[in-house]
Amino acid sequence: MRAAQERLTPASTQALSEALARADAGGEKVHVVGGETLAGMGFPPERADLTLATTGLSGVTANERADSVIAARAGTPISDIAVLLATQKQFIPFDAPLPQYATLGGTLASGWLGPRRHCYGRVRDYLLGSTIVLADGTIARAGGMVVKNVAGYDMSRLYVGSFGTLGVLAQANFKTIPLPPKARLFLAPLPENTRERACSQLAALAIRPAAAFWIDGFHRTVDGDEGPEGRVLALLEGSDAVLERATLALRSALGRAGVPQTKVLDAGAREAFERVLDAYVACLGERSVTYRLYPQVQESPPIASLMQALARRFELRGETIVDVMNGDVVLRVSDLDSHAFGAKIEAFDDALHEAQPRAQVVASKHPHRAYLRVWGASPPAIERMRELKARFDPNRTLNPGCFVGGI
Amino acid sequence: MLVERLSDALGSDAVKASPEDLAAYAFDAYTDGGMPRAVVLPASTRDVSAIVTIARDCGEPIVARGAGTGLCGGAVPIAGGVVLSFARMNRVLEIDEHNRRARVQSGVVNLELSRRVAQSGLFYAPDPSSQQVSTLGGNIATNAGGPHCLAYGTTVNHVLALEVVDANGEVYSTSVDDPGYDLTAALVGSEGTLGIVTSAWLRLLALPESVRVAVAAFDDLDSASEAVSAIVREGILPTALEMMDAVIVRAVEAAFHAGYPTEAAAVLLVENAGLREDVEAAQAAIQTIAMAHGASSWRSAASQSERDGLWAGRKGAAGATGRISPNYYTQDVCVPRSKLPQALRAVEKAARANGITVGNVFHAGDGNLHPLLMYDRRDRRQVGAVVETGNEILKCAVDLGGTISGEHGIGWEKREAMTRVYSTADLAAMARVRDVFDPSRLLNPEKIFPSGARCPEVAPR
Repeated sequence: MRAAQERLTPASTQALSEALARADAGGEKVHVVGGETLAGMGFPPERADLTLATTGLSGVTANERADSVIAARAGTPISDIAVLLATQKQFIPFDAPLPQYATLGGTLASGWLGPRRHCYGRVRDYLLGSTIVLADGTIARAGGMVVKNVAGYDMSRLYVGSFGTLGVLAQANFKTIPLPPKARLFLAPLPENTRERACSQLAALAIRPAAAFWIDGFHRTVDGDEGPEGRVLALLEGSDAVLERATLALRSALGRAGVPQTKVLDAGAREAFERVLDAYVACLGERSVTYRLYPQVQESPPIASLMQALARRFELRGETIVDVMNGDVVLRVSDLDSHAFGAKIEAFDDALHEAQPRAQVVASKHPHRAYLRVWGASPPAIERMRELKARFDPNRTLNPGCFVGGI
Repeated sequence: MLVERLSDALGSDAVKASPEDLAAYAFDAYTDGGMPRAVVLPASTRDVSAIVTIARDCGEPIVARGAGTGLCGGAVPIAGGVVLSFARMNRVLEIDEHNRRARVQSGVVNLELSRRVAQSGLFYAPDPSSQQVSTLGGNIATNAGGPHCLAYGTTVNHVLALEVVDANGEVYSTSVDDPGYDLTAALVGSEGTLGIVTSAWLRLLALPESVRVAVAAFDDLDSASEAVSAIVREGILPTALEMMDAVIVRAVEAAFHAGYPTEAAAVLLVENAGLREDVEAAQAAIQTIAMAHGASSWRSAASQSERDGLWAGRKGAAGATGRISPNYYTQDVCVPRSKLPQALRAVEKAARANGITVGNVFHAGDGNLHPLLMYDRRDRRQVGAVVETGNEILKCAVDLGGTISGEHGIGWEKREAMTRVYSTADLAAMARVRDVFDPSRLLNPEKIFPSGARCPEVAPR
């Protein structure tokens, strides 16, 4: 890897197009970044002659309240969009960590999946259209500003999760949905013998929590508490009437699982939820790596326990977040100092992928990240993906080597 | 040669080549057709793979076909070749109740899936009006919608994984949970031009605990569409918000006695489903808005059978049109929801100028219009007038910031209209995807992309 020599922040789609066309024609490699909140995802670029930040392409370009649609440029911070929509009692479930820094383009390009997707759907399901700049500088639009559109291929969704390797998103258009009027957070200690029962009780609730986690560790990030036990954290969203009924059901479900007192938080409920999102990508200096896995719901509690055991075997500290509603497992492994950590992490990565081949790295500042299996096992359609890359970016100008299978 | 090889590989009962049989597969629900050279009915993914390999060897194009209910000529063999019918691949392979998903073969009928999982308290959300006959494979190919897409989204939001046969006859799989490019999203809605989907994992939803359906009557179309815009503007999201005009209401009542107010100029069908507290609140809020916009009546269905009756009328609306006109053409455009009143006025104007009777039955909450243009196929003047009216509606939708197809697809019918909404560069980006998946243009050729004359860079080679 060679460090990028130059950093560009084009302020218009046209300028972005010109910068890419110039780089592509000149054989330069471009590292595309947004707010760099997910900088720990993917491989570092094989080579970067130029860092291209989309942060200069900022701002909401259309906000059609009467249609419940919104369009924003790629560098717009997620929180800017969320705050604007909230004033209109609308939202899009981005669930991005560090939303004041995370950009729209980066959130889409990373294919970020949030914990509320089980009830509101994926961010891609809200996408109506996009403007993308291809490696050769071509500006291509897809979709539009209407909520249903089947004119041609769904190019916008193809760019979601493409990690900036097919083109650079310049703008995206979304539909929005009504913001649930209220949020309520439940927080309770989760002694070891109650964990699996609590998870299955929560997942089976008739009024599903918008999000529910079993968290082991991450204390400082999540609630400033240093308690040794695991915790359960559940977020309910909805009207007063719904919250009232759901609260009773949730309390009694946790009670049945043997969970002791539950703390209920109305003020600051969403903020507390956002702190969990931040924990997904929180690094402990250069001495941690955070993995994310996507098993089915019923598999996740045992997988989390196994991951903890594996961390212990390597004398690493293991901290986990189990997304009870979707099944995702987040595992952060760390050591006391960077040197000791570096000596173990590659062997741990091998052992982890032996047990869970699909584990992906979502956060790390450790220099050895480049040697880990950051995307997990390659998907079955990897050769087709390589062909797609070759057709869209034949010179491998964009984020070379960063993506799945070294794309 | 082609027919012999197909018969050798699949058995002669799986291959049809008599002129009568071929004629039966020359059309879908669009008016234009083309004769295939052979029709094949595979029973397995392996069969599909063998068919593609043979067709490829013979240089014959392949058109996958579900139930043939498509309205844009998407399943029509314009360039001849092989029609691959999924009629025999109609099994629900696996129901995973716990994780709310099911694996189905492409030939399973849409409604059949919801029937099969109802006892587990689940349903499959996308519900095109053709759902009693249309197949899930066809729904995936067109990214089909339906009334409930307002709340649940179109087919692409409900596809979790695909098994696909590529243009070389190779089988591969995609999943939305795989790392890498979202090939699943690229394949859904690609109208059989990127690969042939043989089975899919589909997302199921829990049946709502409460459902309320009501009809509101209006004395004019304008007030009804203003009411729809107001509902959207207020940030209320019902599960369905459908509109029918007087022409349709009368046809439906004559055919089904669904219980619509026949004296109304426009009827809104409103459904709210979900948690009972939310459903009651939304229904009340919508009623208030409807009345404030001049609704002359509001009737809430009191029972499940009354609800079913109201929905049966809506879903059978296009069919009922057959009673009042020998033929009809369904246009499908989508406009920003606040532009509904203008769009409906423009439809009316275009129809009147061309001397055509129009009936409107559509997904108002999505801004997705379906003007049914009535005509007699035997009268050349009327045919010309319908084509002209259809074109004017397309133009008006685009002028209002809308698109040329909300949910039916592009197919053969609208491919030239693609240049109305996309630039050459936009279409060239799509063509790059096709180049990767089907470089020799054997999968459903002459569809989606405009022909060479209007758009040289993306012309078929």
